[in-house]
Amino acid sequence: MGSKHTTFRDDQLDEYQDCTFFTSKEILRLHGRFRDLAPNIVPMDYTNNPDITLPSSVITAMPELKENPFRHSIVEAFSEDGKGNLSFNDFVDMFSVLSEMAPLDLKIIYAFKIYDFNRDGFLCEKDVEETVHRLTGEELRPEERRLVSQRVMEEADLDGDWKLSLIDFENMISKAPDFISTFHVRI
Amino acid sequence: MKVPVVTRWGSWRIHQSKAFRRFREDAKDVLAKLALWRKTIHKIGGHFGGGVQSYFLFLRFLVILNLLSFLLMASFVIIPSIVFNTVSFSGSSSIDSLPSVNMTGKEECLRYDPNPEALTVFYTYFLDLLSGTGFMEYSYMFYGFYNNTLVISSGFSYNIPLAYLLTAAFYFLFCLACIIVRSVRCSHRLQLKHTVLVPSGYSMLIFTGWDYGLQGERATQLKQNNLLYQLQVDLEEERIKQKAASLTLTQTVGLYSFRIFLHLVVLAMIVGAFFGIAAATQFSQVSIVGLLLEYLPSIVMTTSNFVVPFMCDQVARFEKYSPSVTIILALLRAVILRLVSLAVLLYSLWKQITCDGDVNTGKCTPCSYNSEQYQCWETRVGQEMYKLTLFDFLITIAMLVLVEFPRRFVVDNCSCKLVQWVGRQEFLVPSNILALVYGQTVVWAGALFCPLLPIINTIKFIIIFYCKKGTLFQNCRPALRTFRSTSSNFFFFLVLLIGLMLASVVLIYSVAIIHPSYDCGPFRFSETMWLVVPNTFHSLSNTTQEFLFYAGSQAFSIPLFIFSWSEGRDKQFLVKQIKEIAALSKEEQEPQQPPRSQAQWNGAPHWGGQHNPAFDPDTGMMTQPRAFFPDEFENPGLHYREE
Repeated sequence: MGSKHTTFRDDQLDEYQDCTFFTSKEILRLHGRFRDLAPNIVPMDYTNNPDITLPSSVITAMPELKENPFRHSIVEAFSEDGKGNLSFNDFVDMFSVLSEMAPLDLKIIYAFKIYDFNRDGFLCEKDVEETVHRLTGEELRPEERRLVSQRVMEEADLDGDWKLSLIDFENMISKAPDFISTFHVRI
Repeated sequence: MKVPVVTRWGSWRIHQSKAFRRFREDAKDVLAKLALWRKTIHKIGGHFGGGVQSYFLFLRFLVILNLLSFLLMASFVIIPSIVFNTVSFSGSSSIDSLPSVNMTGKEECLRYDPNPEALTVFYTYFLDLLSGTGFMEYSYMFYGFYNNTLVISSGFSYNIPLAYLLTAAFYFLFCLACIIVRSVRCSHRLQLKHTVLVPSGYSMLIFTGWDYGLQGERATQLKQNNLLYQLQVDLEEERIKQKAASLTLTQTVGLYSFRIFLHLVVLAMIVGAFFGIAAATQFSQVSIVGLLLEYLPSIVMTTSNFVVPFMCDQVARFEKYSPSVTIILALLRAVILRLVSLAVLLYSLWKQITCDGDVNTGKCTPCSYNSEQYQCWETRVGQEMYKLTLFDFLITIAMLVLVEFPRRFVVDNCSCKLVQWVGRQEFLVPSNILALVYGQTVVWAGALFCPLLPIINTIKFIIIFYCKKGTLFQNCRPALRTFRSTSSNFFFFLVLLIGLMLASVVLIYSVAIIHPSYDCGPFRFSETMWLVVPNTFHSLSNTTQEFLFYAGSQAFSIPLFIFSWSEGRDKQFLVKQIKEIAALSKEEQEPQQPPRSQAQWNGAPHWGGQHNPAFDPDTGMMTQPRAFFPDEFENPGLHYREE
């Protein structure tokens, strides 16, 4: 009763429930988490839609994202300015897409965005190599990484232009049985 | 835009289905919380990965299976026997309901005397405990103690031989059902179109391999190692393929002939182990002097189970197969070694008992079995299985105490290069699981002759659980190579099934073909054990006979089968309908305001205001069912505003 009115108006909560896969309780909880990241900057009262963004370094320090090798790319993919500064709306969007309730096609779109490191709309060989690098650290030699990314392109590239479009990516992911359970962050 | 109005009845139905679904989820949660050793196994999975966790899950499954089997045996055979032996019923009679076999000329068959001498030294109790003789032989432990009592009291009758036989048969069917159910569940998780038969491919691994839900440094390190290992295996296979393709013809021929030679070497080692076991069994049965000779078959079997796989591993280094082929080959060889050596032991026992199968020659003439060596052959077989189980248990504990703990002690305190290169123990999942399968097969083979063997095995497996857990956390390093647990789980249940088949061959042979002992056991006056069933059947009243005949006949069982199958199908259909209605109602609940962040999701074809499949006249069903939100549906009877 009490906190519900001080943080968000009813119509704001309704709008959040429409646009994301969360309930009003979960949205309030997310607001609490957002505020905990920087209590001095984020206000308690969001009724007049303050324009507050938190930098990427703060978001990527969250325990849910801290160990993820793609955390910077994730935060950048959901930020409006592309540099990783998230407003509360972006924050909620991010966790909504990463939740278990988001449908497969939405997750595929965002996964494509996350793995597209140079933001050119395609997964070229360098993007794949960077993905392999982030997954394995320094354990593989550079020529091994190049070999792996070449194999990936051979397997997934359907139109032969040596880069993966969203369609190629979607085609490949739809054959994976557990993508929807691995592309999932619990918050 | 008009939106549909859900009636009060419709929304009540939806509400009920959601409540039911929530109840089902809660019940599943509660049951999962009650599972045995849940926290421990979860901890093991977090620290050591899925492969090691699958070993402990397998062990837990076997513990519960053995416990339930023991309860079955106890309630139908052991407890009635105890009751009938101690209490005398008024008006009861220990009549043999079985037709007497002609006993003239069979005096040699009735010489069974298991009772120990009056004065025994203390240590003989200990020896008897280890070998199942002496005070243990004539006890509820073994087949020989049970009598063929038929108790007929006022309105109550109990036929011990029939109970014994039917309980044994039901025990096997029960184990078969449990294993099939578990392996079907495993194979569902496999999602058969993506099994080991279809290569996973680099792209799948790279883009879907990382679990975004992982938290904590240890779990992520494990996952990274896992991915790294899979990539390295794939790269290694590529390298080997390239190398194989680059060999000249003579080199290829040389490699293949060398491989054939090595296969023959391995085969020779395995066959040599079989001959050793057969010889040891024969020798130990003829002259039973001393504990060492009694345990000779167990010693030879355990030694071969250690030595031969080790030698095969060394040989495999020269075979130069790719890593996945090497692993599969090693597993196959280990499975064949263990199960076939057990079969060889049972076969040599059978040869001795039935004089090489020819029951009318030599020592087997009067009694149709070798009465000179075996006055009560069932008890002897039970004793052999008991000794195998006990020895396996002792060796496992001895390995832990004498090898694994000292190894860790040495590695931690001595810093010389050789010791550090050998390193700490790694928990090898396949060989451990095969040891469990072997132990369980021995118990199955011996359960007919030693009814208390399942409970002994339960206790043994419980102790092994705690010991292995202890050694895992104290002595083992996290695996450098993690194990593909899903496809291997299915394989291990398959091997368990093969063990069950082997044991059931023993059961069928003993029940239907070999003549039971004349002087011991519940079947002592019958031609074969199986004959109890038809004899009892004929002694029932005519109407019961006709009823049972009809129930077993086709006219009744086939309609019953079809009816129960279609019932199951109907329920599935109903659940599917409920799910679809619920998904539809969730979709309907979101009004058609364009969302704020719609603009960001360019290219999102389905979500949001552009296309709501709920209004399609043909489909109307969503493809992705969403989770239920507990907060909604506060107002029954939803109505939408017309926009």
